[in-house]
Amino acid sequence: MLRLLDISKTYSLKAVLRGVYLELKDGEAFVLFGPNGAGKSTLLKIAAGLMSPNTGRVELTTDSHSHSSIFYIGHKNGLYNELTVLENIRFFQDITGSRNSNTILREILMEFGLWQRRNDPVKQLSQGMKRRLSLMKGFISGADLLLLDEPFSGLDIRWKEIILERLRGLKKQGVSLLMVTHLIKEGLSIADRIGLLENGILRLQCKTEEITEEEIKEILRGGVCR
Amino acid sequence: MGFVGNTFAIVKKDLLLELRAKEAISIMVFLSLLLLVVFNLSVEIDTENVSRLAPGILWVVFAFSGILGMGRTSLSERDDEAYLNIYFSSVNMESFYLAKVISNLLFLLLMEMFTIVSFVILFDYERLIFALAPLSLPLLLGSFGFSVVGTLFSFLSTGSRFGEIILPFLFLPVVVPILLGGVSSTDIILNGSGGDSPAKWLKILLVFDLLYFCISLILFRYIIEE
Repeated sequence: MLRLLDISKTYSLKAVLRGVYLELKDGEAFVLFGPNGAGKSTLLKIAAGLMSPNTGRVELTTDSHSHSSIFYIGHKNGLYNELTVLENIRFFQDITGSRNSNTILREILMEFGLWQRRNDPVKQLSQGMKRRLSLMKGFISGADLLLLDEPFSGLDIRWKEIILERLRGLKKQGVSLLMVTHLIKEGLSIADRIGLLENGILRLQCKTEEITEEEIKEILRGGVCR
Repeated sequence: MGFVGNTFAIVKKDLLLELRAKEAISIMVFLSLLLLVVFNLSVEIDTENVSRLAPGILWVVFAFSGILGMGRTSLSERDDEAYLNIYFSSVNMESFYLAKVISNLLFLLLMEMFTIVSFVILFDYERLIFALAPLSLPLLLGSFGFSVVGTLFSFLSTGSRFGEIILPFLFLPVVVPILLGGVSSTDIILNGSGGDSPAKWLKILLVFDLLYFCISLILFRYIIEE
């Protein structure tokens, strides 16, 4: 479904990504770990088509490269702060053609803990609520591939669990996930495969069962890859 | 939703945002009033020369106030990277561009109505009100041209750190033919100017509107992707 072939990216003569190969199959979840500045977010943006690589190419084999088959949630939430929760969702549904009935929308908003705040402007919500609303858009987008950059930022432990459960549900439906996170435990709980990016090089790619949380932590602390 | 539906959804969202935030309109209206007061104090205008000076003053106010407001509408998309919702939806970039042009055109026309009424009051020039019907065509064509160019450049410049400063420098040289067409046709309508017909200038306005619209429609996609 998604193939990143020999991706390299340079910012102001500094190599951020160096010859990264990555393949993501339908319904697969790939989680990228790595220290700050390793190039994880850049790789995600390149995969999303938001940034061009200096060398290499991105192959996406869904719905004739239409943007609607993928959805990207970055560090920012992509919300209109002056509009209410409901208005943001309604607009999103209008442009993605994913309009649900009022009953389903109510259920989703309740599931994400936003029903009581549905008529409040987004600017009045907490960071965690904004993040939930942002993730909710991704979940209702109907995209085949979700690209998530630190999706759990601002979420408390309860909401992390709920979001993880939702992501597992999406995977079962055949949605592919490419996720960047610093939360190793949460990442491992959803991933089929993981990758470790360091100084722009994908040092390690393996199945989740082939590595433990401790081993990832050890590598990230500066240890050597197996 | 199709092209028209998507365009309508974005225009509706922009109007709702403006209704809540009142950013673009209030900035435009405030600046237009400020500029009119400055002209009122600095230029010796009396009943003899007001008719001659009105076209130039009006179009200068339209151009400067307009560009400030158009900058705000693109900022609302850049804030929190909300435009990514549109980028990753089924909306094509041409539809997005057209919607922003329509939104900006509506805001410009509102500002222009306010400016005209303010001009009538400040300069005691009632004739302008009675000339509104023949003036409506140059106003519409000129505003459309401003909106077409301003929308493109506002998205181009808001990506940069000094976006709001750069915007007038990009916008004003390009809209010179529109300013010229607007001032000349308004002058002919208000003053007769030797029995000339405004048709020639309206045709020039129309040609530049179409030219700028076609070029901007092609370029907008690249600006968003950059």
